[in-house]
Amino acid sequence: MEVLALCAKTALACVLIVAGSAKLADPASFASTVRLFIPFRVAWPLLSAIAIGVSLGELAVGLASLTLPAITALNALVFAIACAFVGVSALGYAFHRGRSCRCFGALSQRKFDAAGVLRSIVIAGVAAVALAHVGAAALQLDATARLLLIAAAGLLAVAAFTAARVRGPGSEPEPEVVAQ
Amino acid sequence: MTIPLYLAVAQWTLLFTFGLLLIVVYRQLGRTLRKTDTAAPLGPAVGSAAASLEYSRFADDTVQYLTPGDGQPTLLAFVEPTCPSCEKLVLALGTAEHAGELSGLRVLLLTSSPKSYLRVSDAFRTTRLECGRILAQATAEAYGATSTPLLVAIDRDGVVRAAAPAIQLAEVRTFSRACLLPPAERESIPITAAAPRHENDLEAAARPLEPTEKGGVR
Repeated sequence: MEVLALCAKTALACVLIVAGSAKLADPASFASTVRLFIPFRVAWPLLSAIAIGVSLGELAVGLASLTLPAITALNALVFAIACAFVGVSALGYAFHRGRSCRCFGALSQRKFDAAGVLRSIVIAGVAAVALAHVGAAALQLDATARLLLIAAAGLLAVAAFTAARVRGPGSEPEPEVVAQ
Repeated sequence: MTIPLYLAVAQWTLLFTFGLLLIVVYRQLGRTLRKTDTAAPLGPAVGSAAASLEYSRFADDTVQYLTPGDGQPTLLAFVEPTCPSCEKLVLALGTAEHAGELSGLRVLLLTSSPKSYLRVSDAFRTTRLECGRILAQATAEAYGATSTPLLVAIDRDGVVRAAAPAIQLAEVRTFSRACLLPPAERESIPITAAAPRHENDLEAAARPLEPTEKGGVR
């Protein structure tokens, strides 16, 4: 059971790191999804700021959950985020069916549909499994191991960011603008 | 020396996640290679339903959602500010619009480039036509926009009536007619020549478009 709980915990941490990094690669696209859930007119810069904030939040929680396994409160936080995913998927399915959810930025072309709601429920289920008690001995990490995990998590974030940039539109560098 | 259980699980999970990312990038590489294949079909199939799309409108930086088939005929131009042929198409569209030949049509210039790119092109910077940046690569893929310029005529029912490269005013007029004509008359739309995909693509310029069974052109 311990192995199962740790698998769930690390898998969810990786999902959050990948999702956050991929969204950061193209915040404008994710901002358009955020806009769907705000019932009133919001200025585009604010939408972008919210999108970047959500992406950074996912990334930070994922990194913390992966590299600080002894803090069990993070498991509850991840479970709460997973429940929020279910709520967002359900709302998207109800009111914006067929629109892109951009849950993983440009890495995925998933839309708000029944399968998306099901996926979110599965993620919430996995997060619930990660809440199971794990002995403190299994979570012991020395400084070297923690550093290695941080490096691997950082590498994963960079890899996801790069992959999303490659897949996303408008990935070319800004052109030189000649003075008019 | 024994590895803590958490570290053992975490390293396998990380390895698995890296593997998944590798597959994603590998698939993208395949798509990119397919995209550069000049023999790949350009534009959506004539007679097919046009896909919905999202774009960021440059005029006010808002995200717009376009649903073809909402009763308004639409002329979509997939263009890039750095493409000389696209500049010609934008100028031709501007001329037609100025002459009132595009009245009743929703004309939209779509690009994958950021707003700052518009500054490199006089035609794009000064056009009065609505211009926006597509927000998902899936949009370009759904419309088969593997190269630019690409003009797509969509009727009021959301059906693609013509899709081909175009740069000339005469072609713009033909496409606008394809958008506006009632279904019974759409079969007789003659489109005679394709514009070059690139300035040097003389072979493409000389190749006539083939009429399809459904009355459009490819």
